Amino acid sequence: MGFMEATLSQYFLNCSSGEGCEGMREVLLNTGSTIEEGRLAKGGNKLGPEYVEECAVCEISHVDYAELGFPDRVRIWTPDRKHSVAVHARPARSLQPGQIFMPRAIWSNLVVDPDTFSTGSPLYKGSPVIIEPTQEDVLSAAEIVRRHYSRGKR
Amino acid sequence: MMFRNLVCPVCGASCDDIQVEMTAEGIVAKNACKMGNAKFQELASPHRIRQPLICQGGEMLPSGWEEALDRAADILASSSRPLIFIGSETSCEAMEVGLHLGEYLGGVVDSNSTVCHGPTAMGIQEAGRVGATAGQSKNRADLTVYWGSNPLESMPRHMSRYAVYPRGYWTRRGRFDRTVITVDPRRSLTAENSDLHIQLNPNTDFELLSALLALLHGQQPHPSAEEVTGVAIRQMEEMLELMKGCNYGVIYAGLGMASSYGKHRNAEMAFHLVQELNNHTKFVIGALRGHCNVAGFNQVASYLYGYPFGLDFSRGYPRYNPGEFTAVDLLRERDVDAALVVCADLVSHFPADCASYLGEIPMICIDIASCPTTMLSDVVLPGVIDAMECDGTFYRLDDVPIYFQPFTASPFPFTASNQHTLQQLMERVRGRKEAGS
Repeated sequence: MGFMEATLSQYFLNCSSGEGCEGMREVLLNTGSTIEEGRLAKGGNKLGPEYVEECAVCEISHVDYAELGFPDRVRIWTPDRKHSVAVHARPARSLQPGQIFMPRAIWSNLVVDPDTFSTGSPLYKGSPVIIEPTQEDVLSAAEIVRRHYSRGKR
Repeated sequence: MMFRNLVCPVCGASCDDIQVEMTAEGIVAKNACKMGNAKFQELASPHRIRQPLICQGGEMLPSGWEEALDRAADILASSSRPLIFIGSETSCEAMEVGLHLGEYLGGVVDSNSTVCHGPTAMGIQEAGRVGATAGQSKNRADLTVYWGSNPLESMPRHMSRYAVYPRGYWTRRGRFDRTVITVDPRRSLTAENSDLHIQLNPNTDFELLSALLALLHGQQPHPSAEEVTGVAIRQMEEMLELMKGCNYGVIYAGLGMASSYGKHRNAEMAFHLVQELNNHTKFVIGALRGHCNVAGFNQVASYLYGYPFGLDFSRGYPRYNPGEFTAVDLLRERDVDAALVVCADLVSHFPADCASYLGEIPMICIDIASCPTTMLSDVVLPGVIDAMECDGTFYRLDDVPIYFQPFTASPFPFTASNQHTLQQLMERVRGRKEAGS
């Protein structure tokens, strides 16, 4: 077992047996800039529908995408099942199997590992997550705020 | 009317050749990239925040400036451990006021530079850095390595202004005189436009850098290095030969290095590799700093208080301990009781546990447009756009200070700049503290 597989298996204890995990895949999440995400964010359009179309997206290796059954949308979970988010799924040949990419935005950061390993910077690249096909709707940024973050205040 | 040689306030490139024409039909920004162009349009955009907002009964309602400032001062003055988070799209002058405010309140001051290249700064503290200005690399570099960075999407003009395409004094044929290597787990746009793409496995930067260093020392890396990194030793050797054989090489380290497993140890190893490469040729390394004045906070905080980010003033003097006094960790551990967020959207760009906690504590926000952070704020103060509506200083990605001048004025009668807003807030807070003591 290589280093990466060993690391992943430590994170995904719930799925190591395979029971109840059909249709799921354990992958590493890479988040980053896209030029359109930058254009929309810098243009003050974070609450608009165009931002949802550009950023509420998960690019999946075309191999994994086929094995997941060519889903329109996927739900992405943190390994501890504490947080999850539904986003549009897109196949990508730029990615190796076992990896997904999401534009840096409120959707991807819902499932980014908050541990900073004593540096102050969370694991924006290489966070372990679980993905599965879903039929659930993709929420807008404002809906994410209301549903996930505003329980204490609003 | 045409304004020339303007500085763009969007990313670390600090492009200073922007031309803006303000016409009856709108704003035309020339030389700016897609992100820069979008920002210049904010001057007249319909979603610009044009008046203070206060949360009342769960709703954000317009308010007067004095009332909003009073409410913000009340929140900060009554807090026992406030977080002051200063984003990057504002001037060093505003950052200085924010740091002084944090010191006065005994709070914690942090910035985008922490979640951006904080680990890289820590790597520099561990190993030192062989660096150069962007102009040096433009004129001399015949080898450019983008390690964990994708400038075509994060800093669109980096390749054309500083690194790959411009004709330098010793690189007269521009792109034809340069070799480009990209190290990235993903075949990004930048990787597609490179001469060599090293597609390593995620979270294995440290192992690949270690293997390159071993090869540089004439040793063979452990055979497991291939399986761990996903890169053949033969390909590592090819990359290393290019690095040793160039006249002047430069690595632009991105968040792929700083944000993945290994963090500051990745950066530290990269700095050691570059130091050793200087036994063979001239080689430098710098961070590809994506946010506008993110380098400025490191400079200002270091100059004023001795530490580059994550400064805790709770004992009356500055303390620095990444992982303890840094914004993500403080919010995750619920260790602050109020927040002032200046020109940053933390609710969007921090992990869920942190964003969720921001929804529970009183928060003040200074921003130019509505975003998830303004939605959860108790007070929203309208932001002034630096480099367009007020003057000040940015630090470019290579730590060169760039003074910028506005081509129009603040649209608000109550504040001339974010620095001015923070100064007014500081006065109110001081008044409350002194009245209560």
